[in-house]
This record gives sequence, C-alpha cells and structure tokens, in this order.
Amino acid sequence: MAKTSDVSDKIIQALADYLKRDAASIQTTHHLRDDLGLDSMAVIEMLYRIEEVFNLQIPDQDLVGLTTVGQVIAYVQGRVAPPKASAKAAEHTPAKAAAKKPAAKPSTKSKKA
Amino acid sequence: MSTRVVITGLGVVSPIGIGVPQFWKAALEGRSGISAITSFDPFPLEGYRSRVAGRILGFSPEQYLPAGQGDRVDRYAQFALVAAKEALADADFRMEREEPHRVGVIVGAGMGGMVMGEREITQLYEQKRPHRVHPNFIPVITLNSASGIVAMTYGAKGPNLTISTACSSSAHALGQAMHAIRAGTADAVIVVGADASITPLVFAGFCSLRALSTKYNETPERASRPFDRGRDGFVMGEGAGALILESFAHAKKRKARMYAEVAGYAATSEAHHMVIPREDGEEVAITMRLALKDAGVTPAQVDYINAHATSTTVGDAVEVKAIRLLFKSRADKLAVSATKSLVGHTLGAAGSLAGIVSALTLTSGQIHPTLNLDDPDPACALAGLSAQPQTRKTKVALINAFGFGSNNAAVVLKSLSA
Repeated sequence: MAKTSDVSDKIIQALADYLKRDAASIQTTHHLRDDLGLDSMAVIEMLYRIEEVFNLQIPDQDLVGLTTVGQVIAYVQGRVAPPKASAKAAEHTPAKAAAKKPAAKPSTKSKKA
Repeated sequence: MSTRVVITGLGVVSPIGIGVPQFWKAALEGRSGISAITSFDPFPLEGYRSRVAGRILGFSPEQYLPAGQGDRVDRYAQFALVAAKEALADADFRMEREEPHRVGVIVGAGMGGMVMGEREITQLYEQKRPHRVHPNFIPVITLNSASGIVAMTYGAKGPNLTISTACSSSAHALGQAMHAIRAGTADAVIVVGADASITPLVFAGFCSLRALSTKYNETPERASRPFDRGRDGFVMGEGAGALILESFAHAKKRKARMYAEVAGYAATSEAHHMVIPREDGEEVAITMRLALKDAGVTPAQVDYINAHATSTTVGDAVEVKAIRLLFKSRADKLAVSATKSLVGHTLGAAGSLAGIVSALTLTSGQIHPTLNLDDPDPACALAGLSAQPQTRKTKVALINAFGFGSNNAAVVLKSLSA
C-alpha cells in the first residue's frame, strides 16, 4: 500500500525534476499555474511523468480538478489506494474532492490544432 | 489593380463522400463522417483515450486512379491525387493546352506519409535490419511527395511547393497560390490540402497531448461538436481537398466556369505558444482584418465565416472572441458554420475543405449545418451558427485557419456576381 507521504514525496520530486528546482521549495498549497508557472501544456507534460511514476492513465475529464500540488497528490493517492476501497471510489472520489475548489482548468482542450 | 484570382475547379476526398457532389449533399444534410475506431491492431485499444475519428473507410486508390498511379506514394498523397483529378476535370483544365511552366502545384500537408513512415520505423527498431528499410521510404515520407506526384502526374512544371503549418497548412496553400498568380509567376495553380495520419503513433500522440475528444467514444457521431457546451476536444479526420486557381484573364480566355474569387489572404504568427492560442483573440482578429484589407472589403461586407472551430474548449471560444472583436455588432448577423463538425479535423486538408465549402456556399447561398450544436456554449455563441442548414445570399466569405506553432491564416473569397 502506498502511503500518502510516499505519493507526496514522489510527486513533489517529479515536479521538482520537471521544474528544475529544489523539492523543498514546492508546497502542497502551490497552484500549478499561478504559483509554479505551469501552462496547460506543461501540466499535461508533468502529469505524463506522474502517470509513468505511478503506472496510471489519468482520464482527460479528471484533469479539471487538478490545479494544485495538493490536489494532484490527493488524486494520485486515491488512484493507487489498496483494492479494498471500491474501484469506483478510487477512481472518482479524489477528483471530486479536488474539484471542490474551483479554479481555472489546467486544461487541456486549449490547443490551436 | 492586382490580378484577380478565381477558383474554377473543386475536388474532395472526405469521410462524408469522395467527390464534390457526394460531399456537398452529405454536408447540407448534416451527415456525420465520424465513426468508432474498433482496432489499432496490434496495439491495445484501451491505451487510446480517444477512440473516434473521421476516417475514409474502404478507400483504395485503384477505384479512382489509373492502375499504378497511387502505388508509390502514401495514403495522404493518394487522397491528393484523387482530389486533384476531380478538380482538374471539374475545371475542364487540360494540361495539353497549357504552358507547363505556368501551372504550379501548392500542397498543404501537416503530417505527410505517416502510414509508411510508422511501419518502416517500427520494423527497423524491432528487427534491427537497416538494410531492409524500404528504398521508397525517404521519397514517401518527404513532405513534398504529394506536390511532387501531382505535378508529375499532370506535367505541371511551374512553382511546386509544400506548405506545412499543421492545421492551417492548406489555407496558406490557397493564399500562396493566390500570391503566385498575382505576382505573375503562374497562370494557374493546383491547390491541394491533404492528410491521412490516423495512424497508431500519430493518433496516440494527439491523445497524449489531450487534444482529442474522449467523452463520446460510445457515440462517435456526437464527438465533434464545435461551439457546443459539451465539446471536449477535436476529432481527428483525414482527407483531401483540391481547388484549381487561375488568373481571371486565363479563366475567362478559356471560358471556364468560375466558382468564386480568392480575393484576400493574411498569414501571421502569434509568436506566443507552440499549441496554446492567445486567449484574448487579438491576433486572430488582426489576421482576419488583414485578409479583409487585402481583399478590399470591410467587415461590414462579410456574410459568411467558415470557422476553424475544432471543438476544443479554449480554441472555439478564442475564435468567437476574435470574431466579436473585429465584427462587433455585425458578429451576430454573419452566417457561420464549422465543417469539422461533419468530418472531424482533417489537419492539412482542413483549409482546402473550408475553401471548397466556402466556394460552394458563395455559388449556392446554402450553408451547411454545424452538427451537435445541442447546447450552444454562451462563451462562444453566435446567432448565425445553426444546427440546421441555412439559405442566405452570400457575397463575401471568410475562412479561418489556425495551426500549432502559433500560426494563423485567413482567406477571403468573393462571389463573382457581387
């Protein structure tokens, strides 16, 4: 079972690597865009790394709730929770919880294409 | 006064029809060309977040081209050949009557020969036998293979160019062809937009970019929904469009039927971000304004906009913001339609299909419906958008096209009866 702290450390380290800055300077309250300066494309790149670290596929619709470091941690923690928790809860609860705090989408469908 | 440039022939290969009559009938009837992807064999389908696309199912070049003509080029160039053949016939444009060096070919392509490209790369990396890379690999994936094969097929020896600006490629092809004719370097240009890259790697790449619709995998025909509140990304399409452009004098001399005039064009860069548009819409508004100025028309004279409208959340909203910035109160008087709602986003072909649709709209006054506009998003509402076909007198049409790489294009077509 993955502990919250493990998930948290790994995510903060992944973010630190991506941003090329000291992990100690990244806080769970940091907003990905406003505090860490990630644009929507950078959020997608960062989540791509996190998907690899935790062997996850994050559906597009879950991105809406992922705007702060803490939300990303809570989401991933929910997704990697032990099978005791129902799969449905694991899949949806974190995103819902994270979505309580409304914020600009990190999103996604903003491409010029 | 600069040389006037006119469109005299059209050709289409699309998910809703091969051939202009079939395409236009389906477009006016509001038929969707989007279907489910049921296999990317041998790759697991669950690895693809999006599983819908506007594909041309059952296409084989032999059905449309003389034996052997499409054998040594990739699918996108086969589409280009089929569309060019129809457009030349439609224009009754006969190369034997032309001075070959006065006839150019300008192709817009975003991805190019990815079918063979992916296959050869995969085989090399799996089998590690460099001597078994196909001898035709380089000619096929070289991005000007379509403009090359079209010229070779018809003996068009004038300017031969390929423009690759992602999703705006063939809007620039139209504009650059207009420039070549205005500059006097060609009497006529065969303009083609083509792409066929619904391939395992490219499709996965667009999935990873989270640019594609993923909410409608079970209801594919609902997935491409520009300007609707439920839109969640674009739907990949494939196809080709071809237009024969000529100087007015050249077309008149040979008594060609003229669909419309290509009257103005603008090309700009937002110099902003590789894939994200500027949210204030200012650069798009400037691009439209420059194209109208080039055409010698005012915003008040525009009747119809063929919107870029890919069905992405931010993209559609930015485009409407730009339209409102430029057209102000006239914005709601314009007829607007989104061709990608029918066929998906055909990337390099998109601008040429927009050109064909706009030419047909100018000649017929018919505006195809925008599909899936069930719940218009207030963030990008325009009164002239409709889920129903419209009939309106249209004399000036504006085409928008935006591409990755911060790229914008706008093209203005004018009715010849104006």
